[in-house]
Amino acid sequence: MSAVLELDALTVRYGEGCPECEGSGPGSPARCTRCGTVWACRDVSLEVEAGDTVGIVGESGSGKSTVLACANLDRPPTSGRVLLQGEDVTEVRGGARRRLRAERLGIVYQAPAQGLDLSVTAGGNVADRLLAAGGRAYAPLRERALDLHQQMELPAGRLDDRARSFSGGMQQRVQLSRALATEPPILLLDEPTSGLDVSVQARLLDLIRRVQLERAVAMVIVSHDLAVIRMLADRLLVMQQGRVVEQGVTDQVLGDPQHAYSQLLVSSQLQ
Amino acid sequence: MPVARGWGSGGLQVSLATVVPEDTVKVIDQGSDSSMNAIALRDLIQRTTGVETTTDAREATLIQTRHRIPEDELGEGQVMVFQVPISDPLRRVDPRPTVTRRLHAERDYAPIWLYLYEDHAQTGHSTFASAHPVEVEGGYIMTPSPIPRHDVPRLDGAPFLSLFGAGREAVVYAVPPYTEVRPLAFTDRPFEREHFDGSCALCGAADTFLVEDEEADSLRLICSDTDHCRRGRS
Repeated sequence: MSAVLELDALTVRYGEGCPECEGSGPGSPARCTRCGTVWACRDVSLEVEAGDTVGIVGESGSGKSTVLACANLDRPPTSGRVLLQGEDVTEVRGGARRRLRAERLGIVYQAPAQGLDLSVTAGGNVADRLLAAGGRAYAPLRERALDLHQQMELPAGRLDDRARSFSGGMQQRVQLSRALATEPPILLLDEPTSGLDVSVQARLLDLIRRVQLERAVAMVIVSHDLAVIRMLADRLLVMQQGRVVEQGVTDQVLGDPQHAYSQLLVSSQLQ
Repeated sequence: MPVARGWGSGGLQVSLATVVPEDTVKVIDQGSDSSMNAIALRDLIQRTTGVETTTDAREATLIQTRHRIPEDELGEGQVMVFQVPISDPLRRVDPRPTVTRRLHAERDYAPIWLYLYEDHAQTGHSTFASAHPVEVEGGYIMTPSPIPRHDVPRLDGAPFLSLFGAGREAVVYAVPPYTEVRPLAFTDRPFEREHFDGSCALCGAADTFLVEDEEADSLRLICSDTDHCRRGRS
């Protein structure tokens, strides 16, 4: 089976590079001490199949979000490729990217304001993606928006309330229903539960679990919370200074971390 | 321009740039040939170019209008010149021209469709009143200028040429004859024209665009197109 999402040797750098940092190996700093070039991510590859979830962990600045931004086609990598269902979409921009995102990519951000138009209703935020995918009949938009609204356990009576008026946890659920509007084969989650209190977080995690069970979606979740990763991710990439320093089956990596940074990460978890 | 921006300078520039000696010109302001503004613009065109003028839409070859299409059936060879206050229908969804130009270029019309969705979700209908956005040949989204909804369907496949001039914004655009022009509407929520209770108090017409008679003591509806109404009475 071929991967739904494949990132192939993604490198993003800011600066021209120099012989010293271009040839440097593992352990080299993200910022070259000689030429100042920043290597936001370096030679990162991953494959996600339908029904599969890959987690990315690492400290702030390790390149997690850069990798996700490339997967969401927000920015082109300096080198490397992004393949969706076998198709090279690395350079896709403009209207083609918009259609592609509407039909095949769903994303949930940490900050609701990034993923939602808060001045638009909850239903409108879902309808927006269906409209971008070419929906032009009103009743099916309503039905779909209401259906997802209820799947996300949001009160039916609030479908036409502005997203701004919802609580933080609810806004994350609105984001999730927006992301799922067109049943995209790929779902990207960027710190979806960070900043929520534990009970609200648990509820959102339950919903994401259910999405995994009920849909054959390929998922990438970025988080600094190992508990979240342990619960959701089948496989795991540990990033440091822009590089993948360890990867493997989640339980294995978290249970028996090999790389010094992974060990630090696991041992610094609050018990 | 001898008229201030906002008083038809865009339409006037288009009219004066396209008028030829053989033309017969009609100028209407909200359907009326005899408002101060219509008279002044018509006199100006007549005095500076020497062309014939008329109030009869059937005889006119060039019709400058503020927000109406004459009720008469117009034909090939006739030119409509519309005065346009705001030329970009996407201004409703984003005030930044840099953004709306990109939306047009990429045919990214989800935002204006979302605007329509929100209208239906919150009010049960479309709140586009005048200046109802239209889709031209299934692609570009355009404002037909603030003509009433009554007039919008008449642009679809029209045999006449439509020229639009926005003086303040220095923008001109056009719709060629026999072009598909469809009001923006969901497939299951059809576009609706204004509905009037009753008919014209003067000529009795029931199929024209009616306005309140400002000169009458009591509330009554009369045709907005004064020349067509006058002919309907005799």
